[in-house]
Amino acid sequence: MKAHELNTGKTPVWCPGCGNYAIWNALKGAIADLNLNPWEVVTVSGIGCSGKMVNHIRCYGFHSLHGRVLPVATGVKLANHKLTVIANGGDGDGYGMGMGHFVHAMRRNIDLTYIVHDNRTYGLTTGQASPTAKRGTVTKSTPEGVFEEPVNPIAFALSAGATFIARGYSGESEHLKELIKKAINHKGFALIDVLQPCVSFARDYSYDYYDSRIYFLDENYNSNNKESAFKLAFEKDKYALGIIYEDKSKPTYEEQHGVLKEKTLCEQGVKLKDISPLLKLYK
Amino acid sequence: MNLISLKIAAPAGFGVMSMGPMFAKVLKRSGFYVMGYPEYPSLIRGGYNSYQLLISDEPVYNPYIKTDILLTFTKLSFEKEKIEENVTVIADFEKLKVDKEKINAKIIDIPLSKILKENNLKDIVKNTLALGYVAKLLKIDYKIFEDVIKETMPEKHHEINLSALKIGYDICKNTFNFNFEKKDYQNHIIVTGNESTALSAIASGVNFYSTYPMTPASTVLHFLAKYAKDYGIIVKHTEDEIAGVTMAIGAAYAGARAMTGTSGGGFSLMVEGLGLAAITETPILFFISQRPGPATGMPTWQEQADLKFVLNASQDEFVRAVFTPGDITELFYAVNEALNIAEKYQIPTFVLSDKYLSESLFMDTEFNLNALKIDRGYVFEGDKDKPLEFFPRYKEVKDGIPQRAFPGTIGGIHKTPSNEHDEYGFVSDDAKVRKLMQDRRFKKLNSLANDMPQPKLYGDQTAETTFVCWGSTKTVLLEAMKYNKDFNFIHFPAIYPINWDETKALLQSANKLVLIENNFLGQLGQVIAENTGIIIEDKFLKYDGRPFFTEEILEYLGE
Ligand SMILES: Cc1ncc(C[n+]2csc(CCOP(=O)(O)OP(=O)(O)O)c2C)c(N)n1
Ligand code: SF4
Repeated sequence: MKAHELNTGKTPVWCPGCGNYAIWNALKGAIADLNLNPWEVVTVSGIGCSGKMVNHIRCYGFHSLHGRVLPVATGVKLANHKLTVIANGGDGDGYGMGMGHFVHAMRRNIDLTYIVHDNRTYGLTTGQASPTAKRGTVTKSTPEGVFEEPVNPIAFALSAGATFIARGYSGESEHLKELIKKAINHKGFALIDVLQPCVSFARDYSYDYYDSRIYFLDENYNSNNKESAFKLAFEKDKYALGIIYEDKSKPTYEEQHGVLKEKTLCEQGVKLKDISPLLKLYK
Repeated sequence: MNLISLKIAAPAGFGVMSMGPMFAKVLKRSGFYVMGYPEYPSLIRGGYNSYQLLISDEPVYNPYIKTDILLTFTKLSFEKEKIEENVTVIADFEKLKVDKEKINAKIIDIPLSKILKENNLKDIVKNTLALGYVAKLLKIDYKIFEDVIKETMPEKHHEINLSALKIGYDICKNTFNFNFEKKDYQNHIIVTGNESTALSAIASGVNFYSTYPMTPASTVLHFLAKYAKDYGIIVKHTEDEIAGVTMAIGAAYAGARAMTGTSGGGFSLMVEGLGLAAITETPILFFISQRPGPATGMPTWQEQADLKFVLNASQDEFVRAVFTPGDITELFYAVNEALNIAEKYQIPTFVLSDKYLSESLFMDTEFNLNALKIDRGYVFEGDKDKPLEFFPRYKEVKDGIPQRAFPGTIGGIHKTPSNEHDEYGFVSDDAKVRKLMQDRRFKKLNSLANDMPQPKLYGDQTAETTFVCWGSTKTVLLEAMKYNKDFNFIHFPAIYPINWDETKALLQSANKLVLIENNFLGQLGQVIAENTGIIIEDKFLKYDGRPFFTEEILEYLGE
C-alpha cells in the first residue's frame, strides 16, 4: 500500500500553507510504511481544523465531539484492541475542552496514538486564544491579552504518567512520519505534540518562528529519564523534536484487563448469558 | 388480607440497609410475601436510616405510612415516627435514654447492650440479636434465619452473629398476634429495581458499561463491576459522565453492546453524548434513575420529574425510545427490549427508573430468561473483494434503517461524523443531503412505535375514577386497589414513541381521568395533551421527595 492510496478523494479545505497538510502526509506515510490494513485502522478526531483529518484518510474514521476524542477512542480500543486507533485533535480540543480526558487517558496507559495539532490558536472558530497561547496574546476573545499561563503539554504529560511523549513539527514531515510510526508501535498511550503553524491566525508562530528554534534530539539523549525530559519540557525559546520520554515497562490498560486476556471484546461476541446462578441469590 | 408493617430504624452506618434485605429473605422463605422500602439521608454516619418491611399473605407492592412493629436503635425514632397505641416498639430503652413511661405504645424493652456484655459479644451484633428476637416474635423457624446468615455474611462473621441470633430467639417469650396463611414462594425472587436492571443487562449480553457513580443509579455500576469478570463485561468508572457516555459510544461503534447509567445530574452532562449517538446512529442504552431537584437536589429521595428532560434532551430533533417500566419485572424486560431496539433502529434508548423503584425491594415470580432475545439489527459482514471501497453506512436498507459496519470489517470502511453527512459518512451541509438524511432517520418512527409496549388499563373497566400514571406509580396503585375497587388506572410502560391513536381511545373510554405523578407539573399530562389534545384537569401530584404511600391514595379517594 502506498501513502497516496490512503487518500479519500476529498480535497482538504485547510488554508493553503496550513501545517495540517504535513501532518496529513506524515500520518498517511506512517500507515503505509507500517503496512497496516486500512480496515484495521480507526482514526478518531475531535472538532476543529485538526478534526477534519478523519475525512482524508482511507480507513475507518470517527469524527467525534469537541474535546471528546480520547474517551471515544478509548471505547473503540476496549471493544476491539486489535485495531490500530489513532486520535487527532487540536490544542483547544485536547488541552482545553478535553483536558480532563487527556489526564485520565494517560493515567490509563491505553494503547492509543494521540496526535495533537498544536497551533496555539482556535483555527476553526477564527483565531481565539487557545490554552497553549503565551501570556499577553491578543485575540478577538482576549483583547487585553491572555492573562493565564500557557499549558505546557510535555510537562503535563510527564506528570500524568504518559509512557510515550514526543514533539514533532509540521515543517519536518519526514521526521514526524517516523515519530508517528514509533508512536503507533509503542505499547501504551503515545502523545505527539505537533508544532503546527496556523498561517491564518497564529501569526506569532510561523514556520520562520519555529525553523529558528527547533532542534533534533540525538542518539545520545536518554529518553527513559524523567528528569532530563522535564528539563526539555521547560526549555525557553527552544523546541526539542523527537521522543522526549518513553517508558516501555508499563503494562497497557488492555493487557491488565481480565476480560481481554484471551480475545477482544468483539471476538467474544454479544450473546444471551445464563444468569440463573445469580437469580438463586435472590430466592 | 393480612399485613404487618415492620420498620427497622438506626443511625446511618449501623447496618440497617443490609439488615432489611437480609430479613426480607428470611421472611420470604418463611412463607410471607414481602416488600422493602428504605429511607436514608445522604450521610455515611449518623442521621436516620429506616427500612420498612411490608409483610403479607398476599402480594404487597407498596410502602405504607403506618408502622405496626418498630425496632429502633435510635432516639430519633421518637421524633420521626408516628408512634401510637397500637404500635409495638422494640428498643433498648435504658441505652437510648428514653423514658418508656412517656411512650404511648406497646413496649418491648430489651437491654441489648447488657445482654451482649453478659455473653461476651461485641456491640456490632446488636442488630442480629434484636432481629432474632423479632423473628421469634413472628414465629419464624430458627433454621431459616441461620441459613440466610450463612449465605449472606462473610464466613468470619458467622459465629458471632449466630450466637447473637440464638440469644435473640431464646430471650423472646411471646409472639405477635397474627394469623397469616403461609405460602411456598420458592419460585419467587426478591430484588431491588437496580438489581433487576443489572441482571437484565448481563443476561441481555451487555458487554460494555461505562459511567460515573451517581445515586440512585450507582448500584447498577457496582453490581456489573462485581460480576464483570464472570460474564465478560468491561465496566468502566470513567473520569466523568461525559467520558462515560462517549466511551460507551466508541465501544458500541466498534461492535460492543453498550449501556450507561446515571441520575438526572449525570445525564445533564451526558446530553452532549446523546446527540452524538443520535447523529452517528450508534445504539446505546441510557439507564436513568430519577431523584428530586435540579443540580444536586436530594440524592437519596424520590421524584419522577425527568420525563420531559429525557424526551427533549439535546439540540435538534431525532428519534429516541423512552421506556418507563412500572415494576421489577417490567424493568427486567424493558432493559432487554431497549437494548434490542437501540441496535435494531440504531438509536439511543432510555429506561427510566427512580429512587423508589431502583432501591426498594420487590418480590415477583422468577424472571423468564427464555423470553429474552438479542437483535443486533443490520450488521454488514464484510466483502473481501472490495477491501478499500467506501461502504454506504448511512444508506437506507429498510424503513429508514441503514446497515452498520464495525471497524475491522473488510469492505466496510466509512466515516462516522458528529456533523451531518452523506451516505458514506462524509461531512456535508448540502441542502438535499440534509433533508434526505433527516427524512430517512425519522422514517424509523413508524415501525418503532409499534415495537414499543403500549399503555395498559388495570382494574375494573367501568370504575368511576381512572388514574393515569407512568413508571413506578404502578405499584402504588396496585396496592391501593386491594382496598378500593372504585378506581382503575392506565399505566404507561413506555412514553415515546407509542401508538397515540390507540392511547387516545383508551383515555377517552374512561369516566374521570386523574393524573398521578411524583412531580410538580404533571409531566405525563403535558405529554398526553401534546399528543392527543386531551387535557387532564384533575391531578394528584406529590413532590416532597417521598413516593406515594398507600394510605394517601385511599385518602384521596375519600376513604
Ligand atoms: C461543545 C462545542 N463548543 C464549541 C464548539 C466550537 N468549536 C469548534 S472548533 C473549536 C476550537 C478548535 O480549536 P483547536 O482545538 O485548537 O483546533 P484547530 O481548529 O485550531 O485545529 C471550537 C471552540 C464546538 N464545536 N463544540
Ligand atoms: S485556520 Fe489555521 S489551522 Fe485552520 S486550516 Fe487555516 S491555517 Fe490551518
